[in-house]
Amino acid sequence: MMWETTRANSSAVIELSGAIKDYGSNKKIGPADLTINKGEIVGFLGPNGSGKTTCIRLVLGLIKTSSGSVKVNGLDPIKHHVEALKKVAYSPELPNIQTFLNPKQFLNLVSHELSLPENINRSDQINQILELVGLQEYSETKIGKLSKGMVQRLSIAQALVGSPETLILDEPMIGLDPAGVAHFRQVFKDFAAQGKGTVLMSSHIMSEVESLCTSVAMIHRGKILFKGPVDEVEQKVLSYAIVQLETSPLTPQTIQQLRKIPEITQMNIVDNRQKENTTVIEITVGTNDIDIRPQISDIIVKSGAKLFTIKSGENMLERAYIEALKEKNGAKP
Amino acid sequence: MSRAEVIYTFASYEIKRAIARKKVLALIIFTILLNVLPYYALSAAGTTLIPTSVYPYIWVVGIFAVGPLFLNFTAILIAAGAMSEEYEQGTAELLLSKPVRRSDYFTGKFLGGYILFLSILGLTLFLSFASAFTFFGTQNSLYIIPGLFLAQAFSSLAFYSLAFMLGELIRRSSLAYIFSSAAFFSSYIISAFLGIVYEITGKEIYKTVEIYLPTSPASSLPIQYAFPKLPSRLSTVLRFINTSTAVPTINLSIEILLVYTIITGAIAIAYFLYADISRKLS
Repeated sequence: MMWETTRANSSAVIELSGAIKDYGSNKKIGPADLTINKGEIVGFLGPNGSGKTTCIRLVLGLIKTSSGSVKVNGLDPIKHHVEALKKVAYSPELPNIQTFLNPKQFLNLVSHELSLPENINRSDQINQILELVGLQEYSETKIGKLSKGMVQRLSIAQALVGSPETLILDEPMIGLDPAGVAHFRQVFKDFAAQGKGTVLMSSHIMSEVESLCTSVAMIHRGKILFKGPVDEVEQKVLSYAIVQLETSPLTPQTIQQLRKIPEITQMNIVDNRQKENTTVIEITVGTNDIDIRPQISDIIVKSGAKLFTIKSGENMLERAYIEALKEKNGAKP
Repeated sequence: MSRAEVIYTFASYEIKRAIARKKVLALIIFTILLNVLPYYALSAAGTTLIPTSVYPYIWVVGIFAVGPLFLNFTAILIAAGAMSEEYEQGTAELLLSKPVRRSDYFTGKFLGGYILFLSILGLTLFLSFASAFTFFGTQNSLYIIPGLFLAQAFSSLAFYSLAFMLGELIRRSSLAYIFSSAAFFSSYIISAFLGIVYEITGKEIYKTVEIYLPTSPASSLPIQYAFPKLPSRLSTVLRFINTSTAVPTINLSIEILLVYTIITGAIAIAYFLYADISRKLS
């Protein structure tokens, strides 16, 4: 099954059109078709080996396509590497950063590499970035002595040097502590909001993608299965909806009444909290076009039971992701 | 301004990177030992072996005894890892994901490593002079030092370029060291062997092949430059060193070295510009 991807337009920052990378030995990625427009925060999802990093490396001009085309800001990132990537920055997964340098020296190297204009005070910008990523205390510590999380912070820091307009982040939250994850989530949101920046973020943490991204692109065996807003993904991929409720224990009659709602296909008690005298029920609704929460709450309230919470099911993106992969040749997520 | 700055950035980065690897420290220690100990040994052996008239020129001994082998090998050690170590450590990927021209990165790395080599060459010349001065007094004909520096620098450039190319093509530092060293030593051995065969058979083909092997012009050029400017009585102290030149003229030496340097350099940059940037090699 293939869902329509977002159509290309003039504000496209990244465009892959039928991009294929053939590594030989039967390892071929693509054809990938993907368009990312200015201002989008796109979560790039796919199982291990699905081609996320290959697509990113194609976009960065690190590798060439075997066929098809890649455009960054309308230019070929191989032929016009400097112009295409002028305002694009990349933070790799598990970055390999020169261990003999300290964070300040490394960011200085990057700022010189970028030839930042004379009117930009490099030292000030580096200090600001180090402060932003929480590394100022370690600015003089050799990178080889930093923890994994700190190296990840530095990887993000180097991507912020030179005020980029597009960030390409490969698993940016790996190795970060919960406070770090929350902090960088806000950093990326601010980046997108203030500068109308664009973010392409590959991640396996669905909750992260759900909370940060405006849209997602799902990739499998190098092919983009879907690209669109998060809720649209859930709606298009999932043929069902989940409603979760926490109530006081329900009588068999109430449960029977609920079962009579034609859209409900399944009801499961997922948690019996005897201490609080509550029950958590997950209801599967056979369609995602109708919101049946009012009907459910009506029945429960009329039965005299207490309804503490009623909400749409959690981890819907994760469910959609798994569902999409299952549909695609019965692939395992 | 910006391209020059980027090249300068990569050149200085390469110097720092190479220094951070302990091998440069080892090379400096060897340079010091190889340029101090021979003078100490000559001095301690007693002055009867060496005519006093040669004392003012004895600074060349260190250069011609050490130069052909140690300096060319040093060039190989520095160059072979310049590109390959970055692939092995996965550090090339991040640097090249930035909006920089690959050619600037290549040029910066090439120049950075070569400047480091020139520093070791400079140290060699300085230590030879300083040791000769310390053990044998005032030294003469020092005006040839800049020319000798350039001759040796140019001789080693061919091997530097060869090792740089192999580092880029193979992208494994250990294999690049092995292949570059093998090419270097094979050239030496084959050259010596061909010289002997030529002496025995008198067939020109052996001599011609010997001339065009890279070690022949690399060994010949510094000698061809320096010896006409030094007094003939120096042959007494240099009799232990092979000062015969396989290549008949200085121009031919320069031409052969130039061809090797250009070909290997061109292959390296063509491959680097064309090939994908590898991820970390394990």
